[in-house]
Amino acid sequence: MAGRVDSDKVKEKASDNLNDLPTFHAENMQNNAKVMYYSRTFMSIIGGVVAGILGLTGLMGFVFYFLIMGITSVGLAAKAGFSIHSYFDSWNKILLDGFFGGLMSFVLFWTFAYDIVHIF
Amino acid sequence: MGVGFVVGVLGVLILSHAAYSTIQYRAMLKITEEEFSGPPINVVVELIAGLMLCMWAALTVPGKFLSILSHSDENRVVALPENLDFMIFNHRGKAIPMGIDAKLK
Repeated sequence: MAGRVDSDKVKEKASDNLNDLPTFHAENMQNNAKVMYYSRTFMSIIGGVVAGILGLTGLMGFVFYFLIMGITSVGLAAKAGFSIHSYFDSWNKILLDGFFGGLMSFVLFWTFAYDIVHIF
Repeated sequence: MGVGFVVGVLGVLILSHAAYSTIQYRAMLKITEEEFSGPPINVVVELIAGLMLCMWAALTVPGKFLSILSHSDENRVVALPENLDFMIFNHRGKAIPMGIDAKLK
């Protein structure tokens, strides 16, 4: 009963201490990374559609992607209340994580929207 | 979850309407035989509005950030077992000699 529940909690905490830095909660860290990854992927898809409709070509599209990712990073930081270190272990996590994965979706939806709007 | 999701759907609808407007604009340009230099201003406004709505959705729908500091208030372990009222300490098991005691002697 009580003993079993407590021992589970204790075990969890002990494994946290062994695998990670003792001050971080690994499960919540994973949750935060997942939330941020979803936001970034969705924003790169939407950014790709917007770039395609605007008719951007070549380097301008990639500049637009950097712009979108910058705005998304600021948005995520604002969502975390600008106290990054209580939700992520470093600034790199919020600025760079999922950047290149998002780039692939961006290019896909960019070409897709451009083809639909401007070519067909 | 609910509100953010609806806002996201609205943003996607606005974006698709902007795409449709651009297609019509290009068809018109084809008739008047002009070059495409950029989308018209109402499409740009629509795109910005759609982008803002989708941004709102992207930041709210996936869920909240949870604190990773183990000493913060959110991560305190205060849960008790649900059957606390049914725990009995004075029962017939007392009469049976326990194995632990036997080993200790």
